[in-house]
Amino acid sequence: MTRRNRIVSVIVAVALAALVLFPFLDVFSGALVRTVTVVVMAAATAQAWNLIGGYTGYPAFGNVAFFGVGGYAVAILMSKLHVDFIPAVLAGGLVAALYATLLGLPILRLKGHYFSIATLGVAEATREVVSNWTALTGGGSGITLPISPDIPPIFNRAMYFSMLAVFVGSVILTYGVTRSKLGYGLIAIREDEDAARSLGINTTRFKVTAFALSALVTGLAGGVYAYWNSQLIPEDAFSLDITLRAILISIIGGPGTLFGPALGAVAFEFMRNYLWDNFPGLQFTFLGLVMVLVIIFMPKGVMEFLTGRRRFTASALLQYVRQNRVS
Amino acid sequence: MPAPHPAPGALSLSKGVEGQPLLVARGVTKHFGGVAAVEGVDLTVAEGEMLGLIGPNGAGKTTFINLLTGMEPLTAGQVTFRGRDISHQAAYLMGRMGMARTFQVVKPFRNLSVRENVAVGAMFGAGGAKRSSRESLAKADEVLAFVGMDAKARLGADQLTIPDLKRLELAKALAMEPKLLMLDEVMAGLHTREIEAAMELIRKVHASGVTVLVIEHVMKAIVGLSQRVVVLHYGEKIAEGQPREVMQNPKVIEAYLGQQYARRHAPAS
Repeated sequence: MTRRNRIVSVIVAVALAALVLFPFLDVFSGALVRTVTVVVMAAATAQAWNLIGGYTGYPAFGNVAFFGVGGYAVAILMSKLHVDFIPAVLAGGLVAALYATLLGLPILRLKGHYFSIATLGVAEATREVVSNWTALTGGGSGITLPISPDIPPIFNRAMYFSMLAVFVGSVILTYGVTRSKLGYGLIAIREDEDAARSLGINTTRFKVTAFALSALVTGLAGGVYAYWNSQLIPEDAFSLDITLRAILISIIGGPGTLFGPALGAVAFEFMRNYLWDNFPGLQFTFLGLVMVLVIIFMPKGVMEFLTGRRRFTASALLQYVRQNRVS
Repeated sequence: MPAPHPAPGALSLSKGVEGQPLLVARGVTKHFGGVAAVEGVDLTVAEGEMLGLIGPNGAGKTTFINLLTGMEPLTAGQVTFRGRDISHQAAYLMGRMGMARTFQVVKPFRNLSVRENVAVGAMFGAGGAKRSSRESLAKADEVLAFVGMDAKARLGADQLTIPDLKRLELAKALAMEPKLLMLDEVMAGLHTREIEAAMELIRKVHASGVTVLVIEHVMKAIVGLSQRVVVLHYGEKIAEGQPREVMQNPKVIEAYLGQQYARRHAPAS
């Protein structure tokens, strides 16, 4: 094991221990558990986006569709078919993955902006269908899930651990992918799809697989969210905010890196809280400004900054301007 | 019964190679809207030979290779490889069947190391199915040693110079363990000394048992390498034969140097 790997392992172990243990310490209030659940959920959806957007280079703007589909699958299974929580969540993830597979076959033929717009459109269309399929989804007034028999602190903790399991699972999944032929194939597609094709990579199959895995994780997160919230309405389950947060977190943390989404989620939530508390009314302006600075100075996110490959200097800005000048 | 005569200037010239046809193209045609980029080209590549494909800029050489490798769909015609009709086969399957190519405009995976770039070829090419990603990285080291780039294995592909990027293209293709290797202007933009090194490397690849189709602009390289040459001009085949013969063909001289030059220097007849 190299020195760097050892340091990373220690950091990961400490972070994981803290995440597992803190809900049991009484000094922390239940509110913190709820807050961290939201951060972990954002990290999981960002890790999921990272597979298609970061590693494969397909900027999906409709991942909330899978969040909503996973959530509604769980809601329907639990409320109408009386399925237990865990099997319902797993089924929700699979339904989302299946949905992504069917969608991916046509829309992954598109590239760049066209792909982004198509995914955005699909997410909106999915929301419309769910809003109007009243018999199945309850329509605009939503669907109510069974209430857990546990008292709220215990229930919240259980939901926190469920979300944490989805997130940790997504990191392990991503790690496995990066070590496998699939991962090399996805990166090759991102770097140059024609070269990837001519080297023998079945690009369609690989892209659809990445999209389906991304949807699987997003759907699992959506499923846990549905039960946690105990009520699901289309506006929440298909909120564009979920997609945007996943993308912003990935970009801040470092797209196409294993720990980028986790770091990005922490950085993003701190920043968001700070801006929302201190600059009411201007929070989006500052958020936008931060995003521009991140893209200029750390195009590979916080990960790149931490590994010391980039410096926050005027020359970096000038270099960026030179490289991206429109001539 | 007497053996049938081979076509003039064809297989009989590739001395010592028992050439079964490896790749056969018949009437290969590509139209972009109203423009005929490639028009009815016939070509046979025999197993074990080194064939040159030349032509002036815009002659359709690269398009022709794109058609053979399935990167672009044929408008008309037929291509068979190892006896199988591959006219409408997906490009990635060509690689698995033993076809590999380099790109004239190099296509490195810039955010991967040199070693990983080559490993991708080893993972998904003709020999890829049996290899894990780890074994593919070991195979990449082997190939990099063969092409003389082992010292640069750990560099990022974005740190390479043009000659090295051209060499990386070749290494990626070789890692696929192809039966037929198509080199699309791997020598364009190289200095004389670099060209000689590249030629030596291509001979080494050919000697290792790979059938090679060389597309080249550099005449010297083609004459030095190929056993047989095919000339394209405006998408059509205008000549085929031994390199020296073809170079003296008035049609070829005209295509390269213009009518006036061809008339003035025409061999007295």
